[in-house]
Amino acid sequence: MRDLFKKRILFFGGKGGVGKTTCASAMALARAKEGKRVLLVSTDPAHSTSDIFEKPFSREEREIYPGLTGIELDADFEARRYIDRVKEQIAKLFSPSILKEAERQIDLASTMPGVEEVALFDRMGELMVTHMDSYDLVVFDTAPTGHTMRLLRMPELMSSWIEALSKRRRNLMKFGQNIEQAGPDPDPILATLERRKERLEEVRVRLMQHNFTGFVLVLVPERLPIEESARTAELLRDANVNVCGIVVNRVLPDDLEGDFYQARRRQEETYRNEIRRRFAGYPLTWIPQFETDVYGLKNLERISEMLSRPDDSAPLR
Amino acid sequence: MDWAEIRKNIGDFFHGMALAGYEKRLREQFMELNDLFMLMCFMELVGLPNPASIYLMEIYPYFLEEFHIWHRRMGMDHSPVGTLPCC
Repeated sequence: MRDLFKKRILFFGGKGGVGKTTCASAMALARAKEGKRVLLVSTDPAHSTSDIFEKPFSREEREIYPGLTGIELDADFEARRYIDRVKEQIAKLFSPSILKEAERQIDLASTMPGVEEVALFDRMGELMVTHMDSYDLVVFDTAPTGHTMRLLRMPELMSSWIEALSKRRRNLMKFGQNIEQAGPDPDPILATLERRKERLEEVRVRLMQHNFTGFVLVLVPERLPIEESARTAELLRDANVNVCGIVVNRVLPDDLEGDFYQARRRQEETYRNEIRRRFAGYPLTWIPQFETDVYGLKNLERISEMLSRPDDSAPLR
Repeated sequence: MDWAEIRKNIGDFFHGMALAGYEKRLREQFMELNDLFMLMCFMELVGLPNPASIYLMEIYPYFLEEFHIWHRRMGMDHSPVGTLPCC
């Protein structure tokens, strides 16, 4: 897992309930203890980072441990903030009568499905591009897989859509010049579209910058999480996102006694082998099942240590 | 009116005769392209999902004037879209 420690942005993802938040929090804590400035971002609408740290997070950055800043993103709030910012921007440029009508149109658009998602993505992009000077590491604790894949594909989708729009606009402007229909030069609409596209492009490049950004898949040794993680790894590879580690969480310890445990342990063995086979080539880390469930700093520290082992030597084989 | 001006007017007259039809077609095409662009920006008004609607909010104000020209050109004195009141 050492390779993982060179990354500046880490995404933790996987099927629901496998321990993404635990691993993301443990990683953030491990790095903060090394003296790094770490930002832990929860993007799951059902936030649980504050429950793990037993400290309140908010939708703005807030220090939760020396060197560790946390933030729980709220999609509704981000959408409202985005819209307010747009209104503020245009307020400087237009007359009140135009503004009134434009704001009605904006309010209509803001009720469209998907607006919250794009606003959330926009905020994540902002953190990834503009906050890298203030933090050594940004850790994203993501929502279950489907949601995350959509978010990762967003910059590509959006920038091609905006590119199509600005291409049309450019053609239109060229055409207009020929018949003396040209408006103001440079065209403010085209300029706005292109500024947008540049921002999206920055996020896209960052997501695919392998030595900078990595995705950690978390799974448990069970049938469904294995299948889903294999699919996700493939999708991420197609999207040219670097999968820099696999964490196998809640592995049964070897030294248990009793027929029940032995039977479970034998079944798990086949899954362990399958994980080794299907995720060959990815750095694997094995985290054992604990005698209690994981919350609070003390338990997190145990996992932090396991994640920070200097090589791939697993606590369990 | 001196001769130079008369000559220029005659020149413009023939120029217009020769090119008016051509220019009319160009203007029509320009308008059609413009309609397509407007449709792409205001897709939600006709019930189509617009993936980038949040990124288009910033340009709505620029469009209001064009929208006015459009609905007049379409032969409608008033805005046909209730949510986009124009005149």
